[in-house]
Amino acid sequence: MNTVPVPKRRAAFSSSGSKRKASTTQIISFITLIITTFIMLLPLFFMVSTSLKSKREMLKFPPTFLPESWQWSNYTEIFDTLQFGTLYKNSLIIGVVTVFGTLISSALAAYGFSRYRGKGNQLWFMLLLATMMLPYPAIMIPQFIFFSKLNWIDTFLPLIVPSFFGSAYNIFLLRQFFSTLPEDLFDAGRIDGCGELRMWYKIALPLSGPALATVAIFAFIYSWNDLLAPVLYLSSTERFTLPVGMASLTSSRFRIPPWHLLMVASVLAMVPIVTLFAVAQKQFVEGIVLTGIK
Amino acid sequence: MMNKLRLSSVFLLTLIFVAVMVLSGCSGGKSAAEVTPGTDNNSSKSGGSKDEQVTITYYTIDSEDRTFVEKLVPDFEKEHPNIKVKVDKAPYEQFDSKLQTLIAAGKSPDVTSHYGYGGFAEYYNKGMLLDLTDLIKEDGFSAEANNIPDNLIKIYTINDHVYGIPLNMYVTLMLYNKDMFDEAKLPYPTSDYEDKDWTFEKMVEYARPMTVISDDIAKTQYGLDFFWSERDNRPLYFGADPYSEDTWTNGGVPSETYFDTPEVMAAYNKLFDLIFKDKVSPTTEWSKSVAGQNGDPFVAGKIGMSVGGSWNLAGANDFPFNIGVAAVPWGGNDKVRSTLYVDPLFILKDSKHPKEAFEWIKYLIRADIQEKSIDLSGGNPPVNTEAAEVYYKHFEGIDPQDIKNVYEGAVKYGFESFNHLITNYSQINDMFINEMQPIETGHKTVEEVMPVIQKKVTDIIKR
Repeated sequence: MNTVPVPKRRAAFSSSGSKRKASTTQIISFITLIITTFIMLLPLFFMVSTSLKSKREMLKFPPTFLPESWQWSNYTEIFDTLQFGTLYKNSLIIGVVTVFGTLISSALAAYGFSRYRGKGNQLWFMLLLATMMLPYPAIMIPQFIFFSKLNWIDTFLPLIVPSFFGSAYNIFLLRQFFSTLPEDLFDAGRIDGCGELRMWYKIALPLSGPALATVAIFAFIYSWNDLLAPVLYLSSTERFTLPVGMASLTSSRFRIPPWHLLMVASVLAMVPIVTLFAVAQKQFVEGIVLTGIK
Repeated sequence: MMNKLRLSSVFLLTLIFVAVMVLSGCSGGKSAAEVTPGTDNNSSKSGGSKDEQVTITYYTIDSEDRTFVEKLVPDFEKEHPNIKVKVDKAPYEQFDSKLQTLIAAGKSPDVTSHYGYGGFAEYYNKGMLLDLTDLIKEDGFSAEANNIPDNLIKIYTINDHVYGIPLNMYVTLMLYNKDMFDEAKLPYPTSDYEDKDWTFEKMVEYARPMTVISDDIAKTQYGLDFFWSERDNRPLYFGADPYSEDTWTNGGVPSETYFDTPEVMAAYNKLFDLIFKDKVSPTTEWSKSVAGQNGDPFVAGKIGMSVGGSWNLAGANDFPFNIGVAAVPWGGNDKVRSTLYVDPLFILKDSKHPKEAFEWIKYLIRADIQEKSIDLSGGNPPVNTEAAEVYYKHFEGIDPQDIKNVYEGAVKYGFESFNHLITNYSQINDMFINEMQPIETGHKTVEEVMPVIQKKVTDIIKR
């Protein structure tokens, strides 16, 4: 679990940093970090800058660093050219329900795998992990046939329902986390008369804030960026998701793509991911505070 | 007890959720059935009585220059009250995957074109296409009546069986940057294909004074970009055909290929000399650094003359400089100087309503609809010669007569792009891109690479 130690290290750093005077090596490393940060932020800056350029300016070479004239209207134009609002709404619905589904199903399955020592426990777990090796294109056609028999084509269901049946990677991740929870807590719960399900959502879940947050972020990002499955299952424009709409901007072999509008879409598409990360980061810290036993 | 209450509320919530899922599944089913031709319960297969309504699916690329057909649908449905048209679409990259999945799942679209990576020959050899010959006979359809040149219909005819009806026709043309020509005090190149003075050598001569190679990347510019058409297609311009003659009549399976012959290698050398010897053309690295992965440095105003598909015209109104169109100069092949890119409409073999699908095709190539499509699509070139007159006038600042000259010359001296005509083409194309890269970057010579390519092409074709 590489997410857990992060806040700890951070906390240690800030408390010691305020007391001592910064050494030369520290100053150098800070300067290096600042420069690296700027380099890392450059593409992001360029994305925002291009999103505010005019169609003519975006084709200029060498490219301008800041827009010559700031085209704020690009941000309204995207709503006309792409039905951006609808795309955004659809992606959000699918994303949020998928996160909900993944959290419930994966946490339940992971709890089972970590707490029960049944016959063939390991074998089932290996089988589960083996499913991770199947790439999506390999199961694409059989799955499509299956969902089309259920008459689910052109609905959100094929994109949402599978998340309620767990995902191998997330189950693995949560199982490893649940295994680190002290047995004493569950013993205490049992003495107080808790059933297994109650222990799951009263003890295991509240203590797994960081792991759950990680799973939530992974599930959301995966669903938010997924292109192939929505392309396959959705056929009405009003049900399209963000990646499908954005791909349409670069789909013509015969036209110059409207990069400026694509950058607008990218900036706006980034907002939920950044927000989610900001919120979940707080969760990381809270998760540590709540653990109680050290 | 509180505990029990809480537990049961969790179960209740789960139950409600399952119920919602099941219910929405039912409603989803309805809408899916509406759009799926396969679920129509007509017993007479296609056509039948006028009252029986059928839905056909037109599968296309999800981009503005293709999805404009949605605006034509209401008018078509008014004319054909028994036919409903559903437009299904996918982005370019996923076009083939979705098509294959739909066909595998028994939900094949009725009408489409080779809009993705695969070309006509690939579709034909996989047995995906319906033979339209009987439909054409039964309907009394004639290409002449629809102003479609006979040689264009022949492109998609194999052994007298027609498999595709042309819809749009892109040709190869030269775009030139008038500002760069003015600066170098050069006369503008001709749009007349019959002008005997307009040769490959003359074009290179024009390119020299416009080429500026400088350490300052903003000042560097080149006179000529001549790397048009697919890589295996390029020797044809110089008079060397790398595929045996039977390829063009047997459905795209060459019995022999000639990539390692002296003629073909000489053609490639002439082309790469533009970069490494004459130094009037940019390297691929430079082009990518100026214009991005699939971009065109001409658009950035850094190229004097650029030969390419006529789709480059579509963005012409946005270029920050003045442009003109010219003929592709004579380069050693008296018959072929231009690559044609004719997009046909196919009816897929698994279509449940081929007759209705054919009505939709006929509608799309009608002169008035082709004319209307030019504007709606933002400049798609019609195959219908009557509508083409409107197309020639569509571009601001470019003399319509020049466009007409260039188009008519290109058709006269044109040959359909190999990517539409040769089987397993997506694999051939990938192989060419990989193998030729060392030549393009100057790390290997044509003589080193071509024997390898010759062997690999033979292997791919045999697959």
